[in-house]
Amino acid sequence: MEVNTLVAESRTKLGTRDAREQRKRGRIPAVIYGHGESSVSISLDWHEVEVALAHGARTLDLKLEGKALQLLIKAVQHDHMDARPVHLDLMRVNLDERVKVGVSIELRGTPKGIAEGGVLDQLLNEIEVECLVTQIPETMHPFVTDLGVGDSLLIKDLEFPAGVVPLLDPEERVAMVRVVAEEAEETEAEEGEEGAGAEPERIGRVRKDEEGEGASS
Amino acid sequence: MALMPKRVKWRKSQRGKLRGRAQRGNTISFGEYGIQTMENVRITGRQIEAGRIAATHYLRREGRVFIRIFPHKPVSSKPLETRMGKGKGDAAYWVSCVREGQIIFELSGVEESVARNALARVAHKMPCRCRFVVRRHGL
Repeated sequence: MEVNTLVAESRTKLGTRDAREQRKRGRIPAVIYGHGESSVSISLDWHEVEVALAHGARTLDLKLEGKALQLLIKAVQHDHMDARPVHLDLMRVNLDERVKVGVSIELRGTPKGIAEGGVLDQLLNEIEVECLVTQIPETMHPFVTDLGVGDSLLIKDLEFPAGVVPLLDPEERVAMVRVVAEEAEETEAEEGEEGAGAEPERIGRVRKDEEGEGASS
Repeated sequence: MALMPKRVKWRKSQRGKLRGRAQRGNTISFGEYGIQTMENVRITGRQIEAGRIAATHYLRREGRVFIRIFPHKPVSSKPLETRMGKGKGDAAYWVSCVREGQIIFELSGVEESVARNALARVAHKMPCRCRFVVRRHGL
């Protein structure tokens, strides 16, 4: 995990209009909170934030009005296309503090069960863990090559780095190789049988004249 | 058969307008890959079904397809050679009102190259421009 040093500017004007102006100028509005202190609104350089996020940064080192701050990236809001970050939530932390964070799971390899006609289903994409701020793993990469048809990968099967504790039930499934049900062909066969004129059922009280209309049409 | 609701409270609805951008349903939630609309459109139940069939035929039982939209809205029309008046026509088909940014199909359990080809086939069945998206790991 990399720690990046960024230069922040404090924001005096707040609200949607100011946030939009900041974005037009190539800056991302952000807020700093935590440790019982009052929240501070700041802005950061858009490009620097995008680079930090692309490198999997979970903490940021900021310089705000000459002061150095260590912050945990608590949340990132993206635009409606889910492409560009538009706002950051940053939380004050100490380096010796334990925090609860979500770590994404990216499966590696092709299960042997796929050759036997199974399909790999990932049931859990993110896992909540508790660890030191300096030990937050970027992404979990468990191998699923040994999974046969009907086999599952459980949380207890994952290898966590030292000091990282999962907060979910160890018996919870992360992924499984399931047998493909023969649904697809059946549904296609049904297509021809049912006509396009089918009408949904009405819920609630239906007036008599409407009932008659429906029957006649 | 094209998708449509099983039960409805009202048989016909007003046309409405399609404004704004997707404020939810715009991130990949179930699969690993997906397609996202780049326009505000109405997608009919038949188009959704055509997309599903295109994907499942290409995948040949590999992977899993998730459909993120459902046609809840009825669109009425009058029969041919009918004089105007005599009230609103009957529901002819059902549509899903989709805004820019909505994820409409997702795929899991296949490699990216396979997912790209499958979802390109789905995108050809859609009445709008779509783009291929990959799940973002991390923040």
